[in-house]
Amino acid sequence: MRALIGELFKAGRRPAVWVCVLGLLAAVVTIGYALPWIAETYSPPSSAQGLPSGTTLADFKVTLYPINFVRQTLQQWAVLGGVFALILGVLLQGSEYGWGTVKTMYTQRDGRLVMLAGKVGALAVVVLVLVLGVFAVAAASSTAAALLDGKSLDFPGVAETIKGIGALFLIYGFWSLFGLTLATLFRQSAMAIGLGLAYALVVEGLIFGFGGGLLGDWVKKIQEWFPIANTGYLADSFGAIRLRGLPAQAAPYADATHAVAVLATYVAAFLVISALILRRRDVTA
Amino acid sequence: MASATPQPIVSTRGLTKHYGNGIVAVDGLNLNVRRGEVYGFLGPNGAGKTTTLRMLVGLIKPTSGSAIVAGAVPGSPASLAKVGAIIEAPAFYPYLSGYDNLRLIAMLCGVPVKRVDVALDEVELTPRKQHRFSTYSLGMKQRLGIAAALIKEPDMLILDEPTNGLDPQGMVDVRNLIVELGRGERTVLVSSHLLGEVEQMCTRIGVIQKGKFVAEGTIDELRGAATLTVRAEPAATAASVLSGEAGPQNVQVLPDGSFSVKVDLKRTAEINRRLVQAGADVTELRATERSLEDVFMELTGTEAGL
Repeated sequence: MRALIGELFKAGRRPAVWVCVLGLLAAVVTIGYALPWIAETYSPPSSAQGLPSGTTLADFKVTLYPINFVRQTLQQWAVLGGVFALILGVLLQGSEYGWGTVKTMYTQRDGRLVMLAGKVGALAVVVLVLVLGVFAVAAASSTAAALLDGKSLDFPGVAETIKGIGALFLIYGFWSLFGLTLATLFRQSAMAIGLGLAYALVVEGLIFGFGGGLLGDWVKKIQEWFPIANTGYLADSFGAIRLRGLPAQAAPYADATHAVAVLATYVAAFLVISALILRRRDVTA
Repeated sequence: MASATPQPIVSTRGLTKHYGNGIVAVDGLNLNVRRGEVYGFLGPNGAGKTTTLRMLVGLIKPTSGSAIVAGAVPGSPASLAKVGAIIEAPAFYPYLSGYDNLRLIAMLCGVPVKRVDVALDEVELTPRKQHRFSTYSLGMKQRLGIAAALIKEPDMLILDEPTNGLDPQGMVDVRNLIVELGRGERTVLVSSHLLGEVEQMCTRIGVIQKGKFVAEGTIDELRGAATLTVRAEPAATAASVLSGEAGPQNVQVLPDGSFSVKVDLKRTAEINRRLVQAGADVTELRATERSLEDVFMELTGTEAGL
């Protein structure tokens, strides 16, 4: 408990943590709602080129209204917000090596595993704040969009909202622990962020993205055991938003149960790897 | 009856650390630090001091050998609860104030936050306590490190080269602080490569060289007895008289032709009389005390970091 309180004290007073949290919330408001609403409201008719006949950009506005805010949040921010969560995980652990405070922490009272538990607990609290903030900002923004357009203020049910919060917490939890583990492994922040992003972009983005299209179904069979693909399955399990004039999206390759199981396994694996490294490795810096 | 030797608060047996690249940083170290003393851990740069201290606080695991620090295995909660340490440069969170850094340490150690002000007062940092750590001078950082080590009111302080990088006034301040902290029951284990510093602060010294312990004792024990330096002519006559008085094994001819004689200094006048009676002209007769620097150089074969 001492370690958790100490870690929360550090995280709460660290400007970089708040920059990350507020940065994502600002992105949700601007990129997620304000810019699309402006584009879909004021675009000239010519911008509908390429859309099926009778469909306009204004039809996309349905994604901005309260009834869709849980699905929209998950589908839009699972990966983009995950990058912020990755950075948070890296910051909380990697900076300790940069500042040399690892030795300060490990020479106080509690053992290394207790200190790690405190850090993971604090990271979970920060990630929960991030997730609740994202949902709160998305709900407020969708309310504003609906009021501006004179649409109804129907929100999804409480159960779906809570499930959505839980899903995004698991997704960001995976990302943040991925960052924490990389920072522990490399004992620094820069390489951890770089490799985390490279993994997301190159391995799961390019290789599986292009490979899946070119090489067929067996690539998808491999991909279903990789974490970022499963963040997508989990987000998509809340259902696609149906747009007038556009065909329905295909169902996700794997269901929510599979996605939760795979992500939980990665989370557990990251915890075990971090614990093993911290317990065994000498602190020489 | 002789007084009993105080119980060691640090005891190592064959403590050894090998690194993967074949480097033997510490080699079979048997270290005993007694309760209540200010113990100087002396050695040239790269001798293995910091590696040893890291093992004593559990930051590094020994390859072989064992250690007990404050009655428990190094790095265990039981040991850490009684030991305050600064290993190399003090490291704190740059975005927190000095006060908040110590508040954090107090939280982690489970001690009341009011101890923070007491510790800051002890190191005279109270006026700057609300300033960010990143704005502190090196001397202030060092003092904050000592305050952090004091927060849990430890039985023992481990300080690794605490005056490194300080200006002369900062060095004096930190040395005085260490002497002050070592008064009473508290044990202080301080490493240094500076002889003068160790001489001023410590009651006992251990010398390490290339990972091996080469000597341990009080400063007087390490210096050994003072010798008598004699210059007289003719040299053969002087050598004969001195050998007769002190024994041939206790007479050494120095490169400049003078003699170094291991003898009770109370006999100085008598030896002078014998030399004169034998017809020698005595041009120099003085007591010579070996400096700690001489001892250090003899033991380590290095310049003494002076």
